[in-house]
Amino acid sequence: MKKTICVMIMSLFATITSAQTITVINNGKSGGSFNARTLMYKDGLEAAGFQVKYENIGKISQAVKVFKETKEPTIMVYANNQVYKQDLFHTSKNFIMLEYQQPLYVCTANHAKDKSGTLTVAHGKGYDPKLLKTVLGDDIVLVPYKNSGAMLKGMLGGDVDVMVNNQGMSFKYTKSGQGTCEASDVLPIMAATVIGKNVNVKTIRGYIVNISNNDAFTEYHTSRKLYRPSGTWTSEYRLVRELEKGYEIKK
Amino acid sequence: MEELIAVSTGLIAGTITGIVPGAGVTVAMVLAAPMLMSFDVIQLLLFYMSLASMVQFTGTIPAVYLGVPGETNSLPAVIEGTKFNKRKMAKLAIGMCAIGSVTGSVVAVAITFGLVSVLTDHMTLFFSNVTKFYLYLFIILFCLLAYNKKNVFVNLLLCVLGFVLSVPGESDISPDFRYTFGIEDLQFGVPLMPVLIGFLVVPTIAKMTSASGNSVFLPSIDIGFVKVINHFRKRFIKSSLRGSVIGYLCGFVPGVSTVLSTNVSYTLEKKLNPNSPGKQLVSSETANNAGQFASMLPLLLIGIPITGSEIVLYSMLVDAGWSPFQFDNVTNNLDMIFKQIVPWFVVANVVGLVIAWPLAKHILELFADSKKFLIAILVVGVLLLNTYLGVLDYRVWLYTACLLVFSGVGLLLKKYETVPLIFMYILGNDIEAVFYRQMLI
Repeated sequence: MKKTICVMIMSLFATITSAQTITVINNGKSGGSFNARTLMYKDGLEAAGFQVKYENIGKISQAVKVFKETKEPTIMVYANNQVYKQDLFHTSKNFIMLEYQQPLYVCTANHAKDKSGTLTVAHGKGYDPKLLKTVLGDDIVLVPYKNSGAMLKGMLGGDVDVMVNNQGMSFKYTKSGQGTCEASDVLPIMAATVIGKNVNVKTIRGYIVNISNNDAFTEYHTSRKLYRPSGTWTSEYRLVRELEKGYEIKK
Repeated sequence: MEELIAVSTGLIAGTITGIVPGAGVTVAMVLAAPMLMSFDVIQLLLFYMSLASMVQFTGTIPAVYLGVPGETNSLPAVIEGTKFNKRKMAKLAIGMCAIGSVTGSVVAVAITFGLVSVLTDHMTLFFSNVTKFYLYLFIILFCLLAYNKKNVFVNLLLCVLGFVLSVPGESDISPDFRYTFGIEDLQFGVPLMPVLIGFLVVPTIAKMTSASGNSVFLPSIDIGFVKVINHFRKRFIKSSLRGSVIGYLCGFVPGVSTVLSTNVSYTLEKKLNPNSPGKQLVSSETANNAGQFASMLPLLLIGIPITGSEIVLYSMLVDAGWSPFQFDNVTNNLDMIFKQIVPWFVVANVVGLVIAWPLAKHILELFADSKKFLIAILVVGVLLLNTYLGVLDYRVWLYTACLLVFSGVGLLLKKYETVPLIFMYILGNDIEAVFYRQMLI
C-alpha cells in the first residue's frame, strides 16, 4: 500500500514538473505578427506558471525543422498558408487552437479602375496562379513579390495595377488614398493557429485559449480587425483542415 | 540605455578598427556579429553609425603618424599627413582633421535637413521597381568598373561567384527551394557568416600578417586645442565647407561612396591650393565624414545599401525584422533619422574629436606593440564566432564546411578586392527578383 502511494505521489510530482516546462518556438522576425503573437503566448504561459524555454529562431523554415525534430513539449504559432511549403500540416496530434482568420483582399489602383487591356497583378510567391486567373480573368500579367510589404511598396510605386494582399497591408493601401480594396470570397482564407508537439493538445488548449483572450491579445486582435472564431477544438480543427486546402498550388 | 550601449560599443569598435591598419568597418561588423544579433533595428543602426563615424576619425591617426592607411579612404591623409609628421606637426594635423570631420558631419546633417521636403514629395518614386532596377544596374556597373584596378574580367568573375552563392535555397519570386542538392540545410541558403569570414576577414588577416608597417614614432610639437581651432577658423574653413558639399554628393555614389568623396575633394583642393597640404588634408577628411552620413541615407530611407559595410548591416537589419516599409512612410523614416540617429551622430562626432586628437598617439602606441597578439585573437575569434553562429543556426556542419572552403578560396583571392562578390551574394536574390519583375511590367 505504502509503495503504491509513493509511486502515485512520485508520478503526480513528475507530471506536474513536466507539465510546467514548455518550449515556445519563435518563427517570426521582430516587428512581424508571428513574433508578436509568440511573445504574448510566452508571457501568458509564464504568467500561468509554466517554465518557458524560448527558442528564438526567427525563420519559419528553420523553426519548422526544429519543431519536427524536437522531443520536448513544444508549441509554435503557425498558419494554414505555410502547410504545403513547409510540409507540416495541421493534424489532430498537433492542432491546439485557431486564433483568428482573415480573407485576402484584391486592391485596385485608382488609375487602373477604367483600364482596358492587360492588367498587371502583384501577388505573393505562395499564391496559386491558376486561382488568381479564375478571380481576375485571363488577361493579366502576374508579378511575384517576396512578401506583403514588398507588394504594397510596388503598388504605391506604380509598378502594378492590382494586388492581392493580406488584410493589414490592404488597409494601409486604402488609407493611402491611391486605390480601393475588397475582401475576396473566392481566394483562400488565412487562418492563424497554434500547434504543439509532445503535449496533450486538449490540455494545453485550455491555457492557450485563456491567454488568447487576455487584454494584450484582445487589443492586438481589435486594433487589426482580426476575426476571432469561437468554437470547440473539433470545429476549429475541421475548419483549419478545410482552409489549408485553399493554399495547395496545383501544377 | 539600450541606445547608449549601441553607441558606446560602436565607438569602441570604431576606435580599434580605425587604428588597426587593414581592418575596415565591414570586418568589424562581422566580428561583432554575436553581440549585434541581440540588437534591435535602431540599435543596429546606431552601432553602425557610431562605428563608421569613429573609423573616419581614428583612421587618420595611423595615416598621419605611421603613414599606413587605417581605411581605404585614408590615402590622402597618408600623403599629406606624413608631411606634417616629418615637420613634427602631427598633432596639429590630427587636430585639424578632427575639427574638419565634425564640420563635415554637421554640414551633412544640415543639407539633409534642408532636403527633407523634396525627399518627402518624391518618395514613392523610390518604391517603384524601375527605380530599383536602375539603381541595381548602377551598382553592378560600379562593381565591374570600380574595383581591382578596373579589371572588368576579374570583377565579373567575382560578381558571378557571389551570385552563384546567393542562388541555393529560397528564392524571392518562387515558393520552391532550389539548388539544394538534397542538403536540407541548404534550404535556408548558403550561410552569411562563413562567406563574410572566408572572403573578407581571412584575406584581411593574411594581409595584416604580411604587412610591414613603420611603427617608429617621430616626436610631435604639443599644441593647444584653442590654437588649433583658431588656426582652422582662419585658414581652413572654406576648404572644409567645400569638402563637406563635395563629400556629401559623392557619398551617394554606390560602391565607392566615401572613397570617392575623399579623393574628389582632395583632387579639387590640390588644383585650387597646390601648395597647401593642410587645406588638402582638411578638405579630404571633411569630405570623408560628410560622405559617410550621405551614404547611409539610401539605406535608411529606402532600404538600398550602397557600400560594402552597409550590405552587411542590411542583412543584419533584415534578420532583426527590418524592412524599409516597416517604418510605414517617409515621415516616419525621417523622424527616425532626425530624432534617433542624428543626436547620437553628434555625440559620436564629439567623442571622435576627443579621442582622435589628444589620445591619438597613446592609443596607437598600444596597438602598434601588439600586432601579433591581435592577429592571434582574430584567428581564434573568427573560428569561435563561426562555430557559435552555426550552432545557433542549427547548421554547424554546413557553417564549418563553408568556412573551410571559402577561407581557402579567400586566401587565393587575397590580392583582389572581394567587395563585388559580397555585393552579389547578399543582393543577388533581390536583384534577380527586381530584374525579373522589370521584364514582366
